[in-house]
Amino acid sequence: MTKPIEKVMSAPEAIERFVKDGDHLIIGNYTVGTCMELVFEIIRQGKQGFTLYSQSGILDVELLVAAGAVEKLVTTYVMRSGGRSGGSAVERALKEGSLQIEDYTNYNYNARLMAGMHGFSFMQVFEGIMATDLFKKRSFMGEDKYRVIKCPYTGKDVVTVPAATPDVCIVHVQRADKFGNAQYWGAIGSVPAAALASKRIILTCEEIVDTGIIRSSPHHTIIPAFRADAVIEVPWGAHPTEVVGHYNQDKLMWGLFIMAAARQESLQEWMDEWVFNCRDRQAYIDHYVERFGSGWLQKLVAKPFYSAPANYGSAFLSTWDEHGKDRGTGLTMEEIENLLEERGLLHD
Amino acid sequence: MTKKYTLDELLIIAVAREIKDYDNVILGVGLPTTSGALAKALHAPQANLMMEAGMIDFEPLIPPNHIADVMACKGYACATDLFTAFTMTYRGFVDICFLGVGQIDKFGNLNTTAIGDYYKPDLRLPGSGGAADFISYSQRTVLTMRGGEFVEDLDYVTSPGYLGGGDERDSSGLFPQGSGPTKLITQKGIFEFDHKTKEMFLAEIHPRITVEDARKDIPWELNISDKLTETKPPSDAEINFIRNFAPAAAMGRSLAAEVGFANLLKELEERGKT
Repeated sequence: MTKPIEKVMSAPEAIERFVKDGDHLIIGNYTVGTCMELVFEIIRQGKQGFTLYSQSGILDVELLVAAGAVEKLVTTYVMRSGGRSGGSAVERALKEGSLQIEDYTNYNYNARLMAGMHGFSFMQVFEGIMATDLFKKRSFMGEDKYRVIKCPYTGKDVVTVPAATPDVCIVHVQRADKFGNAQYWGAIGSVPAAALASKRIILTCEEIVDTGIIRSSPHHTIIPAFRADAVIEVPWGAHPTEVVGHYNQDKLMWGLFIMAAARQESLQEWMDEWVFNCRDRQAYIDHYVERFGSGWLQKLVAKPFYSAPANYGSAFLSTWDEHGKDRGTGLTMEEIENLLEERGLLHD
Repeated sequence: MTKKYTLDELLIIAVAREIKDYDNVILGVGLPTTSGALAKALHAPQANLMMEAGMIDFEPLIPPNHIADVMACKGYACATDLFTAFTMTYRGFVDICFLGVGQIDKFGNLNTTAIGDYYKPDLRLPGSGGAADFISYSQRTVLTMRGGEFVEDLDYVTSPGYLGGGDERDSSGLFPQGSGPTKLITQKGIFEFDHKTKEMFLAEIHPRITVEDARKDIPWELNISDKLTETKPPSDAEINFIRNFAPAAAMGRSLAAEVGFANLLKELEERGKT
């Protein structure tokens, strides 16, 4: 099926259409600027049974696990609230046996996405991993977590990880056009790999911009339009995490979340207040302003620090020079057509 | 007589002193970022600070919140991706990295994944992140410990140190020769690893800490260097830098959290929003 050229829609529509129960779901963002509104909407719609991929879990993973949406987790890092005496939704689910986890290192996890993104069946990883329990202790992936092969060139043992090609990636970026050309800058992490390894891509952005802006800065585009399935404009879409050039991390909301996440009951209350009782991001922001005043958000707004524009200019953008002559042959159109006629190259 | 200092400051300073001028440095979150900024400001101006999120040659102006915090600096030299940050480590371009410790054994192997049974843990720690990759291929690795524990046997081997000791790491063929943890810095002292046995020993002890204090945390008979020295106390310049750059880091995690939380409550109260 051919995708529509314009992909702008609402978050509920995008999640409804492109996220299915039991999907391999990947969070595209890494540590920063995570796709909070998409995570919230998945929870609101009660989607479940996911195998969740996360390079580094923060409140995104905690919320999806606390909502009971995740059966299996592939990750390298999970957050924990309140140090040793605290807790996390991931820890609680592991203890209860409702969640299985497969641990990788940052590089190993990212290598699976790189293989998936480029269409390879596996990627070579660093052999030192064989000395660790990441290699030795395996969960649901079993033998396929890592496999060792002989390098045909050196004869040495090479450790590999299998490609990951998740069903759907949810990701937040700074800006995109209505066609789905998505631009992201800052800490690149594994954001492009997570998106491009996936079969479907749902992206939220702080702003939808004119295509001319995208075309004058293609070096910032991490997802080309033909790979995107849904584009949703969601200002403050990553709050309480930060988005470079838009807003800083909200330490107040982080603090409230950290305190809540230590126990399931308090985390459930947090979710009731901020996820379920807020129909969309606008309602969430309205509720936030109502509770804490608008001053808090204003303090987080980034002061601009613009990148120097890259000069994409050229000496000319027409084959025809100012005298109407083709730059390569030095001939006018009339002269070219006469020449073609003269040489007997034109046919009726 | 120099200024009084906190043990957190001493730790940050001891870590900073491990960074040499012109080093390519991978910084982890928390205390090492302050150490990196300190080193660059005071004794290693040409050090290249990097983070695994793909930031190369950055200079933080405020303490970063995490390893992907580009908003703590005003631009940086190269924005690459995580994959490349690790492959350049594998290729040997990283001189030094810093890792935090959950559990550590006498040969510098680390557990930051789980306490108890891995599959149903008593305590689920964060995991490897980039730790296992970095300690495997960085030229030098400096370990830092606040709140971690020394154990005879790790519950889970996340990051390889000297494995079973002796030449086991070098002879495994899995790692660059001579790599592995170089030092462990705690709030009590600085530990190094014996050239031959690769067992850790106490090399420097912080002022006013006794050897008995250091032994107390350690379940095996700790070796003490014949040439045990006292850690050089922080200079005023070092202390001043830390307090200006990262006052919360000077306080340490729990006091900073306590004061930070009180500050949030106060602000909420002033807005009539509690």
